[in-house]
Amino acid sequence: MIKTVPKKLGAKAIFGFLLLAFLIPWSSAYALTNEDCIECHSDTELTTEKDGKTVSLYVDVAIYKDTVHADNGCVSCHVEADVEGDEHPFPMSPVNCSECHDTIGETYMNSAHGEAAMMKNDALAPKCKDCHTKHDILSPKDRRSTTYPMNIPFTCGRCHREGSNMTSTHELGKHNIVENYSMSIHGKGLFEDGLIVTAVCSSCHTAHNVQKATAPNSSVNRNNIISTCKQCHVGIAEKFKNSVHSATVTKTDKKLPICIDCHNAHTIARVKDKDFRLIIAEQCSNCHSHETETYFETYHGRASMLWGGERTAKCSDCHGSHDILPAQAPGSKINADNIVNTCSKCHPKANASFTTYLPHATHHNKDKYPYLFYTFWAMTGLLVGTFSFFGLHTVLWVPRSIIERIKLISKGH
Amino acid sequence: MDKEPILWIERFSVFQRFIHLLIILSFITLAVTGMALKFAIEDWAQWIAYTSGGFAVLGALHRFCAVITFFYFFLTMILLYTKWRDSGQSIFGFLLDPEGLVPNLNDAKELIATVKWFFGGKRPYYGRWIYWEKFDFMAVFWGIAVIGGSGLALWFPVQFSKFFPGYWLNIATIIHSDEALLAAGFIFTIHFYNTHLRPEKFPLDPVIFVGSIPVSELQHERPREYDQLIETGELAKLATRRAPEAWLRRLSAVFGITIVSFGSILIVSIIVTMLKYIQHGMH
Repeated sequence: MIKTVPKKLGAKAIFGFLLLAFLIPWSSAYALTNEDCIECHSDTELTTEKDGKTVSLYVDVAIYKDTVHADNGCVSCHVEADVEGDEHPFPMSPVNCSECHDTIGETYMNSAHGEAAMMKNDALAPKCKDCHTKHDILSPKDRRSTTYPMNIPFTCGRCHREGSNMTSTHELGKHNIVENYSMSIHGKGLFEDGLIVTAVCSSCHTAHNVQKATAPNSSVNRNNIISTCKQCHVGIAEKFKNSVHSATVTKTDKKLPICIDCHNAHTIARVKDKDFRLIIAEQCSNCHSHETETYFETYHGRASMLWGGERTAKCSDCHGSHDILPAQAPGSKINADNIVNTCSKCHPKANASFTTYLPHATHHNKDKYPYLFYTFWAMTGLLVGTFSFFGLHTVLWVPRSIIERIKLISKGH
Repeated sequence: MDKEPILWIERFSVFQRFIHLLIILSFITLAVTGMALKFAIEDWAQWIAYTSGGFAVLGALHRFCAVITFFYFFLTMILLYTKWRDSGQSIFGFLLDPEGLVPNLNDAKELIATVKWFFGGKRPYYGRWIYWEKFDFMAVFWGIAVIGGSGLALWFPVQFSKFFPGYWLNIATIIHSDEALLAAGFIFTIHFYNTHLRPEKFPLDPVIFVGSIPVSELQHERPREYDQLIETGELAKLATRRAPEAWLRRLSAVFGITIVSFGSILIVSIIVTMLKYIQHGMH
């Protein structure tokens, strides 16, 4: 049996080859070769009028030879041109890529782009050629390709930027996407370091299955974000899964945070960057507002608001980030067994007594922090008392002092 | 303009003036750097931090000036020690000297007399030190003990918590911050008004910089001291025709008015901010 299989396959292959060899020359006896097409279409001045606009019909053969379709005949896409004689029908129907790329075609048809283009007939919605070009379709690995990682932001940015035809006629929700992206850690990786494994638009939004974030099957839907980021950040996703913020650990009806709640989608910053460190408390305050407010009453919080304040302790410095656990969990950074270690990161030789410092202290809570409450009000009393006494003293003095001055002047001093 | 007075008398020695210069420079720096942290959420505080190069710079300046503060406190102790030694009095005699710096019953009487004066009575028979000046001087002791002590705890929190519970640092923060607000608020409003900004002196009483005052001014302002100097025959010995140098008086005016302006700007920022907080019902 084993030996007969290749024999059978071999027989089929030979039969197929012969069939093709027989059919190809005879099926289109007058088939146009690419050279025939080029005869006219290499003319850079060959144009036509379409919707009142002059459209070039020139094809750059030099580039075409490098494209992924170099071995295809012109007529394999432009099927209507496959006619006898010199002239093909005009105008011809648009090229249908899904003749060959059927799976991608189907995915595209169900995407936000495909739906807009095909179902809603939105003239601005992108079709294959808008991202991939027509005769210049290079491999995504080719530096010149519109789908090469370093070029993708520009390809998408043709529409998704402020002032484009698209954004001036459509409300796309997010703004300054390209600018924000290029300032983000992903964008900096791409543009500053030329790191092509960094996330580009299609890494998160997919190439052909682009969906609005509200669509349940979108790669950027809240429920799918973690898996989307996990494509690259596997270790982080694993840590996060065991943290208090993960739905596998905390069962709650409340909204649990996902990657983009702390790391903004298009403005995502390097976590050690000042910009990121300065907004950590703000991010956490979306859910933990009381803890953040009281943090800002302490030295750490106050200093963090000032220039250079990124250095002082932020939420994540004490609580961790992807591995946050409740204080009573043995692995928690603020668990009694670990807290000396946690404080020691900034305060070498910290001891157990030191860790009783209240990093979320407030003098507004009489029941929880009576000593802070009474200290504050005792100090306030001292201030009010002193200023009342001397304030009154000064106020009473003012008219007398004016009179004294006038006396001095009239005496000729 | 005032006529040029004929006779002058020294009120503050060079050493005393030097101490006060240290106080001015360290105090205003401590106030600016500390208030920037206390009111960090405010634009003006963030401007201070940004302009000075960041909160780490503010922290370094604050600690440096804290050292200056302990240093001038030490110098003041030396000053008092030499005063006591030269006085030939016992330690209690020196402290309880009716013309000394320690508040006494006569100050209470003078306070009442002063209030009467405000309402049209006679100008009180003031001596060398008036009660509001004594309060300023005593506040340095009180302030340095409270702000200095709590400040050291916050400077060395780990060492502090070896001896005291760590949460006392939270208490120290409140005490340090509010006592500092009291100190800065007091100096930049009450002291500035009492000494420089009241119409009789406006815009500046330069005596703490130039050291001497005209004898005529002494007679008018501190009649008891003047009479005592006449009685003991000291005045004839101490009075001099040498007026403070012109350059020193000019420099004093520029420096003094600058500092008074800085302090006033800071305290106005603080008052506006505090009023805003009170209006919004927060602290």
